[in-house]
This record gives sequence, structure tokens and C-alpha cells, in this order.
Amino acid sequence: MSLLAQSIINGLITGSIYALVAAGYSLIYSTNNFMHFAHGISVVAAGYMVYWLFTLAGTPFYATCLITILLSALFGLAMYRLIYLPLQRRGSSNVILLIASIGILIFFQNIIQIAFGSGVKLIGYIEVSRGIAFPGGITMTVLQIVILLISGIIFIMLYQFMQKTKLGRNMRAVSNNKELASIVGIDHIRISDFSFLIGSALAGVAGILVALEQNLSPLMGTNLMIKGFTGAVIGGINYVPGSIIGSFVLGMAENLGILVLPSGYKDAIAFSLLFLFLLFKPNGILGKKEGRFDK
Amino acid sequence: MIFSAYQTHIFILIFIYIILVVSLNLALGYTGLLNLGHVAFFGIGAYTSALLALEGLTYIAAMIAAGLFASVFGYLLVIATDRLRGDYLAMATLGFSFVVYSLLLNLRDVTRGAMGIPGIPKPTILDFTIRTNDQYLIFVLLVCAISVFIMYRIVNSPFGKLLEATRDNAVCLRVLGKNTLSLKYKAMMISAFFAGISGSLYAHYITFIDPTSFYISELILVLTIVIVGGLGSIKGSIVATALIIYIPEVLRMLDLPSSVLGPARQAIYAVILITILMIRPKGLFGKVDLE
Amino acid sequence: MILSCRDIHKSFGGIRAIDGCTFTVEKKRITAIIGPNGSGKTTMFNVISKLIKPDSGTIDFNGRDVTGLKDYELARLGISRTFQDVKLFQNLTIREHLQIAMSDSNEKLLSSIIKGKNRDSQNIQEVMDLVGLDKTFDTYATDLSYGQRKLLDLAIAIAKPHSLLMLDEPVAGVNPRLRSSIKEILRELNSRGESILLIEHDMNFVMDLVDHIFVMDAGRVIAEGAPQEIQNNPCVLEAYLGGSEEESECWK
Repeated sequence: MSLLAQSIINGLITGSIYALVAAGYSLIYSTNNFMHFAHGISVVAAGYMVYWLFTLAGTPFYATCLITILLSALFGLAMYRLIYLPLQRRGSSNVILLIASIGILIFFQNIIQIAFGSGVKLIGYIEVSRGIAFPGGITMTVLQIVILLISGIIFIMLYQFMQKTKLGRNMRAVSNNKELASIVGIDHIRISDFSFLIGSALAGVAGILVALEQNLSPLMGTNLMIKGFTGAVIGGINYVPGSIIGSFVLGMAENLGILVLPSGYKDAIAFSLLFLFLLFKPNGILGKKEGRFDK
Repeated sequence: MIFSAYQTHIFILIFIYIILVVSLNLALGYTGLLNLGHVAFFGIGAYTSALLALEGLTYIAAMIAAGLFASVFGYLLVIATDRLRGDYLAMATLGFSFVVYSLLLNLRDVTRGAMGIPGIPKPTILDFTIRTNDQYLIFVLLVCAISVFIMYRIVNSPFGKLLEATRDNAVCLRVLGKNTLSLKYKAMMISAFFAGISGSLYAHYITFIDPTSFYISELILVLTIVIVGGLGSIKGSIVATALIIYIPEVLRMLDLPSSVLGPARQAIYAVILITILMIRPKGLFGKVDLE
Repeated sequence: MILSCRDIHKSFGGIRAIDGCTFTVEKKRITAIIGPNGSGKTTMFNVISKLIKPDSGTIDFNGRDVTGLKDYELARLGISRTFQDVKLFQNLTIREHLQIAMSDSNEKLLSSIIKGKNRDSQNIQEVMDLVGLDKTFDTYATDLSYGQRKLLDLAIAIAKPHSLLMLDEPVAGVNPRLRSSIKEILRELNSRGESILLIEHDMNFVMDLVDHIFVMDAGRVIAEGAPQEIQNNPCVLEAYLGGSEEESECWK
């Protein structure tokens, strides 16, 4: 019983990290309509930024977080302005943009590997990794509680932002109908700028939490991206709340799945879910019908 | 010996990759089948051939079996993804390669998982065992020439014209009474078959394989070559394979440590890929765009 | 009777594109479907050639129920059609287009590889002469003008083995000279015993060409008859000029 409860808690923690990745990814996808696969490398780059600033250079932790999130946001914007926008301007198809974004991911993955080596890195912020025992045989570290809290707060803020602010409403307008949005005078390039800024800032948050929770490795970007993407596809890729919920479903499926399967199958569960959803329910469980799948 | 040992090694890789790249071009360039999972066929071929040869099957039989087994997956992939279009299709085929990767990693009883398969025997053909790299070079050159010749005949035959017609306008072709789904899976099966063959050549040359050889960085290399060479051009694929495999070799002159050399090579491939997409997406000899 | 559609319905979202469409096409005649924009003519063509699956209704072709067939299966039974917006195969030559059209099933892979290129030009020349497309066979489709593409599209439909030729606006967007030569081609085909069903927007084009006309409006046939009858039919004028449905006697 406690094993099951612990698995559910672990599922929630894994899910909230996936959800942070997926939320940013899905925000970018819904406003830009192409797959920004390099989002995964934003997360990893943020993780290494924490390692560099905090562990190596000894910058105070909160300053490190602030700088990391800021730089992540700018990193995303740079990818949009320097690669995607020029490609779009020369009329490249979405598939070309996707291939370019895989190229970006591979490029930075290898740059990180050259800069930091291929070995795993530990942040070593020991204060947060103290375990706390809860009734029912569940153990969580301080960090894991923080992860749950922070992701919860961010999701609420993101929702409020999308619903209540003018910028958020414009983003949803562009995501629903780009032509109509531009007719009513919404500058979609500006909206794309902001979606990359905000989406990549979320990747920065995810990167910080991942860096603290797991060991860092240059190759983890692909895996994180697939997980975030899978979560987004399960929930509905063009609908941010859907992709957040989908990510929790994925986190649960992985952690409950390895109760019956060998633990190595964690990734296989995710990959299979991704493949099955793409084949049979490409708009996800909550995604809007008018996804671009039929076009 | 005409070439240095290192040059021989590079030439062998080039011929193996020519088969792999031309086979991807047959699906992606000629038939318009978006496939980001091509390296999975390469991996399936490598594992099939290695495992069968270790079980004692003769090399030629193992190689053919590798091609056939890969083409079964090619068939399944087309049937499964036929409803999808555009970037969803791209992601599903990419997802397919992840599924295969994780199976190679997790079916430990068969594939030995992350430990990989060491000691893959060098090919023996009619009592003649290929031992030196020079002999292997001649062997891959031969297989490469035959494979490319067959694929060249296919794309220039009436059947090949139907594949191109499928790419250009599938609706119009169906209205002319052609079953485009069957054309698609046939094309994918041929493509997967030759990818499997090249996987087999790779496995028996390196003599050690593990799942990481068939993952996303390998995909980038193959995609880069196909796009640089140009979609729908076999000549382009051959020229680009030689170029792209050779270019990073200039890095060796810089005397970089091997821990930097590998990633630097990958980074260069990625830069070439992004650059060609931004400057000349049709590649050197290409005639068609990615949909 | 070569083609018969009974009570076809098709909705897209909430919009009824085809709303109980019924008509019958006779053999060896030129039959036209006319009607205002959005009356469902092209949708009906797509339903007949199986590119769109109808919600309900049946289709008979050559005395056989073909409602459940796939698009390419029906095409093999002998329906040829053209498209309003000709796309063709951009990277293939004229010769390759016509060879694809003339081969009646999928090429057999093995024999195709062994035999290699098909260089037979006899039949191709005949079709090219018939439509009057004066271009070398190795010209790529992308290098043709709009009118020439229209002719190639027609040539493909003629070259494909068929017993019914369906043409979706064969003269839309072409110059008057080509327009009259296409008219002559269709007359010539008809005199050879071809059954032709065409969609046309323009009544003037069809009046002295066709034997029978169906007028479609709002997804159904509102009138039919010989060209003279149609010309004098008040309902048709109303459909074109626009009138309110309730007042019209045509909706009974």
C-alpha cells in the first residue's frame, strides 16, 4: 500500500517536471504552430547554467535562479529570431522548422558536452535534499515538496496570465486563428517573441528543478523533450492546460508502470504512449478538435 | 595497400552510409514519405544481422534477413501512420525510432541492452572470411554498387514514376486508379530493406553495436546528408555522403582530444544542417521541397 | 444509363453541402451539371469519384452498386476525371503523365525494374494530337502554361481507360480560342461514343454542346432537361439571380 502511495507521489513529482517542460513547449506550439523540439535543450542549458553559476562560481543560489531564468528566456527568443523567423520568412514548411529545431538541439547538446564533458554533474545543494517522512510510509525530500509547490504556483500564474491579461488573450487569439488575429491588428511576430520568452523561461524553471533533483548530463535534453512532448500530446498539444494534465498522466503512468515492469521500461512506457497517442488520438484527451492534424 | 588504414576506414563508412542515405532518399525524396525514423531500420538491420550471425547463420543469409526484417517494420510504420500528415507524421516516425531504441535498450534477453553486442563475426562468404579492412572495403563497395544500382533502376522505372507521382499529387494518382497506400508501403519496404542491409554492413564492420549508435544524433547525420545532397537525387546523396563524412576529418588536424572530437563532429553536422535549410533547402542537386 | 446517384447527402460541420441529390447520366451523351457557386457541383463530383464519403445515398455505375468502393477501385472500373484546379505531377514529364494514365493498375515492381523505362510513344502521340497539345513529350508539367496544363489534364483523363469522362469546369480560366477548341475536342470525343459528364459554371458554353443538363442549387437538382428547356425554365434563372426559397414553385 505504501509502495503504491509512494509511486503516486513520485508520479506527481515526475509529472510536475514534465508539465513544466510541456507547458512551455505547448505555449510555443499553440502560438507558432510548429514543433520547437529544441525546447529540451533550453531545459538542459538552464541546468548547466545553475551548475556553472552556483556550483562552480559560487554565486548565491537565488541570484543563480534569477539569472538562469532570464538567460533561458533570452535563449529562446534568440532561437526564434535567429533561426525560426528567417526560415519562416523564406517560406519553409513546418517539417523544415522541426528538422532545424532537432539540429539546434543536437548542436547545443554537443556544445555543452564539449564545454562540461560528458560525465554527469551534481549541483550539490544539500540543504534541500533532506528527506521528510510522512504518515503512510511516504518519504519526500524538501526539494520534491518545493517542486510540487513551485510548479503548482506557476501553473496557476500561467493560467491567470493567459485568461486575464491582454497579452495572454492575444496569445490565445493567435493560437485559435492566426489570420483573424492579424486582421484585428495583433502583431503575431510580437506574440511569438513573447511566447518564446515565456515558454523558455518556464524551461529555465524546469531546468533549475531538474538540476537539483537529478544528475545533469548533456544528453538528457532529448529525453526530457520527448517526455514533455509526450505529455503535451496526451493532453492536447495546442492547449496549455491539457498538456499540463497530460504530463501528470505520463508521470503517473511511468511510476505506476514500473510497479509491474522492470524499471528500465520507464522510457519505453513514455515512447509507446507517445506513438499510440499520435496514431490514434493525435489531438489528445483535452485538445481542441480543430488541431492541424487534418489539414 | 593503396590507402592509409585511416582512409580505408573512412571509405568503408562512406560506402555504408551511401546505401543508408540513398535508401532514405528513396522514401523521403522520391516518394515524399516523411520519415524521421530511418535510423531505426538501420538499427534493426544491424541487430538482426549480428544476432543471427552469432547464432551461426552464414553472413549473406543474415544480411538478407536483416533487410527483410527491417522492411517488415517499414510496412507496419506506413500502415500505422497513414492517417497522419505534416509535423504529426514527422513526430510519429521520430517516435517510432524512439520506441525501437528503447526496445533495443530493454529487451535485454535478446539485445543485451546498454551493454551492446560485442564480437560480431566478420563476414564469411563461400568459405572466404573477410579479415582485413582492405578486403572489407572491396566487399562494401560491391554491396553498395549493387544496392545503389537496384535503387537507381527502381526510381527510373515506371514503378519509380508512380512513386514520384504519389509524392507530387496522391489524390490525382488515386483518381487514375492507383492504390497509393500500396505504393507507399512498397517504397518504405524497399527503403527499409536497404537501410537494414547497410545496418548489417555496419555491425559486421565495427563488430560491436549498442543502442546509442541508432539514436537521434545518427538521425541528424543521415538527414543532413540527404538534405545537403538534395531530395530526389541519388547523385546528390552519393556526393553529399562523401563530402559530409569527410568534412569533419579536418578536425583531426587540430589534434583535439577524442572526448571533444566526437561532439565537435556532431555539432558540425548540426550546423551544416541548419545552414543548408536556411540557405539552400533544395540541397546541391535536389528538385523537390519537403512538404 | 451509365451513372446514377440516388439521394446523396453530405454535411460539413453544420453545413449541408449535398442535400438529397439525385440524377442519372445516360450513355454516349454529353451531360452537364450547372449551377451557381457553392451549389455543390464539385462536391458531388468528389462524392462520385469517392474522394469524399457521403453521409447517405447510393451510387450505381454501369449497373453496379459502387457506393462502398475506394477511390482507386472505382477509377479502375472506368471513371476518368479532371480537376478544376489542375495540379498534375509537377516533377514528371508529359510522357510520364500519360504512361501512368494508360497503365491500368499498379506497376509490377520486379518487371518494372528489369524492363526499365517505357519508351512507347504511339498512343501518347494519338492523345496529344486529339487534344492538340503541341509540346515535346519530355516537357515537365511545371514548364507548361495554365492552358497547356488544362489540356494535359484532359489528355490524361482521356488516356486513362474509362467508360465515363467527368470534367470539372474544363474551360474555367482559359482564353476564348482554347475554349472553342476544347468544345471541339469534346464534340469529337462524343462522336466517338464517349459518355461525358461535365460541370460548368457558364451556361453559354454548355447550351450548344450538351445533350442534357442538370441544374443544381443548394445541394440538390432543381431542374433537368434539354438545353432549350433549361433556358426557358424560370426556376433556373431564379437560382442564378437569387430568389427566396419559400416563394419559389421550384421547391415543391
